Amino acid sequence: MQSAKMKCPYCGAEMNHHADKVFPSERSQGTAETVFNGSIVELHSCTVCGARAARVVG
Amino acid sequence: MQARPLYIPVILGTTRQGRMSSNVAKLVAEEVSKQAEVETDLIDIATLPLPTNDAGEAIKHVDFSSKMDRADGLVVVAPEYNHGYSGLLKHVLDSCLKEYVHKAVGIVGVSAGPFGGARVIQNLLPVMRELGLVTIFWDVNFSTVQNVFDTGGKLLEAAYIRRIDKFLKELIWMSRTLRYGRENISI
Repeated sequence: MQSAKMKCPYCGAEMNHHADKVFPSERSQGTAETVFNGSIVELHSCTVCGARAARVVG
Repeated sequence: MQARPLYIPVILGTTRQGRMSSNVAKLVAEEVSKQAEVETDLIDIATLPLPTNDAGEAIKHVDFSSKMDRADGLVVVAPEYNHGYSGLLKHVLDSCLKEYVHKAVGIVGVSAGPFGGARVIQNLLPVMRELGLVTIFWDVNFSTVQNVFDTGGKLLEAAYIRRIDKFLKELIWMSRTLRYGRENISI
């Protein structure tokens, strides 16, 4: 399912969701980490100013 | 014409005293700075105060992370040590992750022998892939690097300028293409 568009923290424009990646973590806890031994993180880039942002899924 | 110039920093991937790769990294950074609509910095990993009693994103360095986040592409200057890369280069690269995804990287191999760092380049490719970087298919190989520069760091073999230029053209194309993809094409 497509998640809601992120807004750029710098200019407010809609960001483009360009990648998902599992980020390994031995420190934090979470359901996804039980399965993947890490967190799934969405990566977004701003279509206007090029800024990048990430958010953890689930 | 693009509104924002590309940012392609050059990483000097060794901390060894007397490192010959320093001349290489300076030369490459100088050539990057000559490219139209491209900005660069020379990042010397010897100047990054990363601890060695931990690893990975837990030891992220604010300035290095910020530069990797801003980067559209990277040049890694990697001397070959015992057929591999410097341990501290890997230590520094591992301190970031999301900063690299869908960005271009080109590798410059350096060696005292005749193979120009071919083996260190091959060893770095799977590392780059796992970091989310996209490798280009041109490298620059500095063989017998001790003969390539004079004692003052001046380049003695002009042919390297042409090789670096070809490498940079490819890296810039890939950096520009991936920037377009990051900003406009959804997964």
